Amino acid sequence: MTNKLDRRSFMTGAAVAGVVAAIGQRAAAATADDPLTITLVIPSPVADVGWGHALAAGLDTVKEAYGDAVSITIIENIYEGPDADRIMNKAVADGTKFLVAGSFGYQNGAMQIARRNPDVTVLHASGFMVAPNFSPFAAQYSQGTYLMGMAAAALSKTGKIGSVSAFAIPELITSINAFVLGAQAINPDIECSVVWLNSWFDPAKAQEATKALAAQDCDVIFSNAQDTPSVVAQCEELGIYSFNLNSSMKAYAPKTYLGCVETDWSPFFKASVDAHIAGTFEGGNAFLGVADDVVKVVDWSADIPAEVMAKIKEAEAGIADGSFSPFAGPIMKADGSEGVAAGATMTKDEIVGMDWHVKGVTTPLPS
Amino acid sequence: MNAIEFIISGMLAAATPFLLAALGELVAERSGVLNLGVEGMMAFGAALAFIIVYNGGGHILAFLVAGIGGVLLSLLFAFVALGLRANQVATGLAIGILGLGLSAFFGKPYESYTIKGISKISIPVLSDIPVIGGLFSQDIVVWLAILTSAGLWYALTRMKAGLLLRAVGENPKAVNSLGYSVFALRIGAVAFGGLMAGIAGAYASTVYTPLWADGMIAGRGWIAVALVVFGTWMVGRVFLGACLFGAVSLAGIAAQTAGLSIPSQILTSLPYLVTIVVLGIISSNKRLLKLNGIASLGETYK
Repeated sequence: MTNKLDRRSFMTGAAVAGVVAAIGQRAAAATADDPLTITLVIPSPVADVGWGHALAAGLDTVKEAYGDAVSITIIENIYEGPDADRIMNKAVADGTKFLVAGSFGYQNGAMQIARRNPDVTVLHASGFMVAPNFSPFAAQYSQGTYLMGMAAAALSKTGKIGSVSAFAIPELITSINAFVLGAQAINPDIECSVVWLNSWFDPAKAQEATKALAAQDCDVIFSNAQDTPSVVAQCEELGIYSFNLNSSMKAYAPKTYLGCVETDWSPFFKASVDAHIAGTFEGGNAFLGVADDVVKVVDWSADIPAEVMAKIKEAEAGIADGSFSPFAGPIMKADGSEGVAAGATMTKDEIVGMDWHVKGVTTPLPS
Repeated sequence: MNAIEFIISGMLAAATPFLLAALGELVAERSGVLNLGVEGMMAFGAALAFIIVYNGGGHILAFLVAGIGGVLLSLLFAFVALGLRANQVATGLAIGILGLGLSAFFGKPYESYTIKGISKISIPVLSDIPVIGGLFSQDIVVWLAILTSAGLWYALTRMKAGLLLRAVGENPKAVNSLGYSVFALRIGAVAFGGLMAGIAGAYASTVYTPLWADGMIAGRGWIAVALVVFGTWMVGRVFLGACLFGAVSLAGIAAQTAGLSIPSQILTSLPYLVTIVVLGIISSNKRLLKLNGIASLGETYK
């Protein structure tokens, strides 16, 4: 069983718990048999799909493995900012020894907690700071979106594909670039339009953007960092293909769902909890992909031609064993200059910091 | 379909959530009551409507219940702000937060579920015109919203009830001295505001974006309140402002897909800028502004 708390009930308990906490914490430290308390803090509600769902599902695996030896609390709907710092501090004061900070904006607060509490292990999503007991983690979505691009190019009749994306930050730009590079591996002339919503969360705007892309003849849409099925459901209605990240939305588009670049955090969470319990946890930058079993492409559309599927599987195997990278040169930038020279391959750090579009993306990047 | 056709065919539907909520708020403010709880009433209506459609209750019942939900919240507002004579701004904000909370509470089991929207009604002949034909193919709620705008304009300028409502906003004492109950008139106006906000929310969650996600109203209630003020409490201008806002926000998206080299941040802020500038210019006549401004807006009547 996973306990779910929302902000309100959490705060109701806070008044009483504030007094009890100090005593409780000492008691927890005194008895070694007490379960390891794991707390996940996320900015959005946990739904049946999406980012929060993927993180919660990862912790479910830890729970299955350890049973009563761990106790998991999920605190959802916590805005990034001082509120989050307070709530994470409170969770640690209440005995949390393993904290998963599920959003980039929690970084500074979570890092402070890690520094002040050397016995607490902190995992932080999408960040860059590292400490001995603090690991940032991120998924290499680009490995999956590259494969999706190959499928998209095979199914696109117009030679135009599109993406509805939240903010123009490197993580999302990289996903789009890989998507386009994968598409160009099948159809070198393919073009991609991007709509930047400049909002993490606005389903209505996401659907407007989907319609706008369809009006421009884009017939495969990449729902980039959209936590709701807004784009996927709209594509089903318009009869065009779509795919998304994190968790499968096939139920929302049974006919036109291309597939899902799924993130399965369970191997990473399990390994981190194992290390925490064994006392061997070492903070480091966890940039995880297909080889780590974290990024997987699932629910492939049955419409993808068999010969393309064979190529996709080949590329997937290459990515998994490290013999192939979506970001192997030569890669041209959208402005016509050279991005990656022939024979060179982008390093992980370069991929993480990618702030330019590859050739074939027709929408200019907001600067 | 090109970008222009996309904007023309989509702008009325994009404007409808703003328009419906703004018309309701316009009536409430015309009576002299400032209810800032529109965002919350919309969210509450949106959640109720979604739950009903998802459970097979149909769109008509959904809109009805959403409207009633909005009315209930607005009556709570009226009880505190008019009955107990609390500060209207503070009460409105509180009701708004309450509405958002209720929507999150009731909507929780339905997080990220989707439903089927409703089909469009095309006006024959007109909808076949090239380029602008899309304008005449809209869902029924859009048509009703336009009719409501026209009806409201007629009522506020030509009918006794409308004039009485305006009088209550301008000079409640005078209306009272004529033997009308200021309290009753204002409650009616506030309830109408709640009704329209609830319906606007229902449109957003069951027709325009047929899915439920906590926080999906995403500030549209606030834009509706702003439209009323920038439209100087006149139905025609509010209608224009809503359409403009809808059209420009679609244009911003269309410009991105067309590959125009304008930063997307500017395109995203464009609807706000354009609406403020255009309505600002329209209402720049100081004498008219004074004439249109509502004398007793936000004041407690004792």
